[in-house]
Amino acid sequence: MGGGLTATLPDVDPVMDPESRAWVAALAGQGSDREAALDRLHALLLRAARFELGRRRGQLAGLSAAERDDLATQAADDALMGVLARLGDFRGLSRFTTWAYKFALLEAATRARRMAWRGRELPRPPEDWLAMADPDGRPEAAAEHAELLAALRAAVAEVLTPRQREVLLTVVAGRVPLDVLAERRGTTRGALYKTIHDARRKLRAHLAEAGLLTGEEVRPR
Amino acid sequence: MSLVDGLLGPEEPEVGCDDCFAELDRYVELELAGEDPDAQLPGLRAHLAGCLACREEHESLRALLAGERG
Repeated sequence: MGGGLTATLPDVDPVMDPESRAWVAALAGQGSDREAALDRLHALLLRAARFELGRRRGQLAGLSAAERDDLATQAADDALMGVLARLGDFRGLSRFTTWAYKFALLEAATRARRMAWRGRELPRPPEDWLAMADPDGRPEAAAEHAELLAALRAAVAEVLTPRQREVLLTVVAGRVPLDVLAERRGTTRGALYKTIHDARRKLRAHLAEAGLLTGEEVRPR
Repeated sequence: MSLVDGLLGPEEPEVGCDDCFAELDRYVELELAGEDPDAQLPGLRAHLAGCLACREEHESLRALLAGERG
């Protein structure tokens, strides 16, 4: 996966702890043991989803407590489906519960991001994005990186494809979450990130060629 | 993250979002165990630096587990 994304993860032999093994056996089994395991798993996923939405309370200020809890339940429901669909991927390299939690956190976070942007137009990549305030609040144009920024602006205009330019600027300068842009475009977070990654590599290579980045900053792929 | 950092992304080779998700649980457990996750899972830290969505989920999983373990 991720052609062009350059690190390769090693495959490691699993050593599954007894508790994780029991989870997998119960979920892969049948009858009342499986039903009980599904109930316990859903409760665990719901707790994780509530935890995530609790962290995002500010983003979801327009929701009542009941609506937020409904969102958590939806996230837990979908996370449960995800866990069951990918049970065969669990190799026992972490605890089963840790592995399962991430599905609930992903579902809850994605829902929260999309909810926060629901009904809002996505900002178009601003023509004069160089003059925008830095996301950290510093006025970039006046900062010490003025030369780098000028070259970067030219590189964005010259070396990126229109799609790379739009995706990169919408996400980075427009601060639109990847999940939100993916939903509007009918694609996935991973596919959009790949576009961003490829655009960044082009920009780095271009700036390195112009002598604005050291060789250390652009490594072989 | 500054605008320049966001536009240029991480210097190091990185995994994609799907590989990051696949290994996030192991990465966080290694972190919480005081081990070196970057030695075992190269490319994840760079991805977390470059991808806000995955970074937020990494922080959440870490916080959830840390809270459970007291």
